[in-house]
Amino acid sequence: MNNKQFLNELSDKCQIGAEQAATQVEQLIGVMEKIWQDGDSVSLSGFGVLEVKKKNERVSVNPTTGVRMLVPPKLVLTYKPSSLLKEKLK
Amino acid sequence: MDNKINLSQLAERLAQEGGMSKAAAEQFVKNFFDIISQRVLVEGLVKVKGLGTFKLIQMEDRESVNVNTGERFTIEGHQKISFVPDADLKDRINKPFAAFDTVEISKEQAEALSRMDEEDEQEAVAPVAPAAPEIPAAPEKPAVSEKPAEEPKKSAKEKRLEQKQAKKAEEAKMKAQKQQEKKEAAKVVDTPTVKDITQKKGTRCLLKVLIAILTMILVIGLVLFMLWPVVGNSVLDIVEKNLNKAKIEMVSDSVKTVAPAEVAPVKAVEAPAETESAKPAESPAVKPAQPQQKPAEPAVKPAKTPAGTDALTAAKYPVIKLNSKDEAKDLSEFTLADVVNYSMEGVLDTYTLKKGETLTIVALNYYGSKKLWPYIAKYNNIKDPARLKAGTVVKVPVLKSK
Repeated sequence: MNNKQFLNELSDKCQIGAEQAATQVEQLIGVMEKIWQDGDSVSLSGFGVLEVKKKNERVSVNPTTGVRMLVPPKLVLTYKPSSLLKEKLK
Repeated sequence: MDNKINLSQLAERLAQEGGMSKAAAEQFVKNFFDIISQRVLVEGLVKVKGLGTFKLIQMEDRESVNVNTGERFTIEGHQKISFVPDADLKDRINKPFAAFDTVEISKEQAEALSRMDEEDEQEAVAPVAPAAPEIPAAPEKPAVSEKPAEEPKKSAKEKRLEQKQAKKAEEAKMKAQKQQEKKEAAKVVDTPTVKDITQKKGTRCLLKVLIAILTMILVIGLVLFMLWPVVGNSVLDIVEKNLNKAKIEMVSDSVKTVAPAEVAPVKAVEAPAETESAKPAESPAVKPAQPQQKPAEPAVKPAKTPAGTDALTAAKYPVIKLNSKDEAKDLSEFTLADVVNYSMEGVLDTYTLKKGETLTIVALNYYGSKKLWPYIAKYNNIKDPARLKAGTVVKVPVLKSK
């Protein structure tokens, strides 16, 4: 399901125009981004948790050349599905 | 920070941002995530521009080991929802760390990095090692601050002796360890590598302990050296008074009983060595030099067997034959005997311990003999007399001989 299909379904469900759906999606993502930048997480029942986690720096070795690289720390957006959703997978 | 934003909070913020009603916003957010979770199950892939891709992926069967039992078992293949954030979003999230780049480093640098980590770990462990040699001497420590001092030379000698004793105990321990290791090594003769490892471990252990002892001695010497001029003069008077008292004390002690007498003088003599404050001022010039000599002496004969050191000690100081182990045994023996000789009847006085004081000092002050400290310990239910804190209030019982 690509973005276009997604927007269509969303606009159908909410009974709004496709353009409005697109702007609202942008706004929603903007709001969530601010939440993540504050260090908070977005937690929705039935869906899961979207949160930013910090990965520590580490030394990685290229197995073929043996070159050592110092990988810097980074912030990564992670998603953890809710147990409800996981149940549905089975 | 670390707050969990739920559906209604998220909708509220969206309503503010987009100028729509809260109900509509909530409905919109709910639909947004409902579609994702439903469609990802049905179609296996949902792409949302600006957010990222949700994807259903198949995990293969894999083997794992039960951490507790060590049993192998298979984790059966299952499906998993993965999320890959949009590249733009990813960069924006990582903005605080965007300045860092992956750097190529040399082998040496990598090793230095891992060494740094190891050092951090060792630092946590290190304080334990230097403390160890002190433990055998701990019970005597108390006697110190008010305790009389013999001539400085002697006290210095005693100190050396004490350190030797501590070392002896350490060495004995090491020996036992070594023997055990040897036994272990003998068991696995077939595999010489294992033997090597155990021996290496042994030598490393020995080295560590030796270094720890040496640093201890150095530190004590330094502290003595630095504190001497400050404390020395002010204590002079007290020391002289106590000196006479202690001498009388010692004589009477040794007359009283034979077995405890052996221990008592040792205590009296060892005590002064322990503190700087008790140091006599008779020869201040000689003093500073001595602490520096000390570290050298134990270093010269580190490999001596306990028996050899024992004989040496005995020759130099005929009074002190006991090594720390025997001493501890004797101490407990006369402790028991003494408690039998007297009965405790009523409270004579209560006393608040000052810094550096111990039950032996209290006993000395009230009964005129430090050997009687176990009564105070027993009367106050003190289980660990070696670790009393300043400010502890003790009741001093009246003693009546049976």
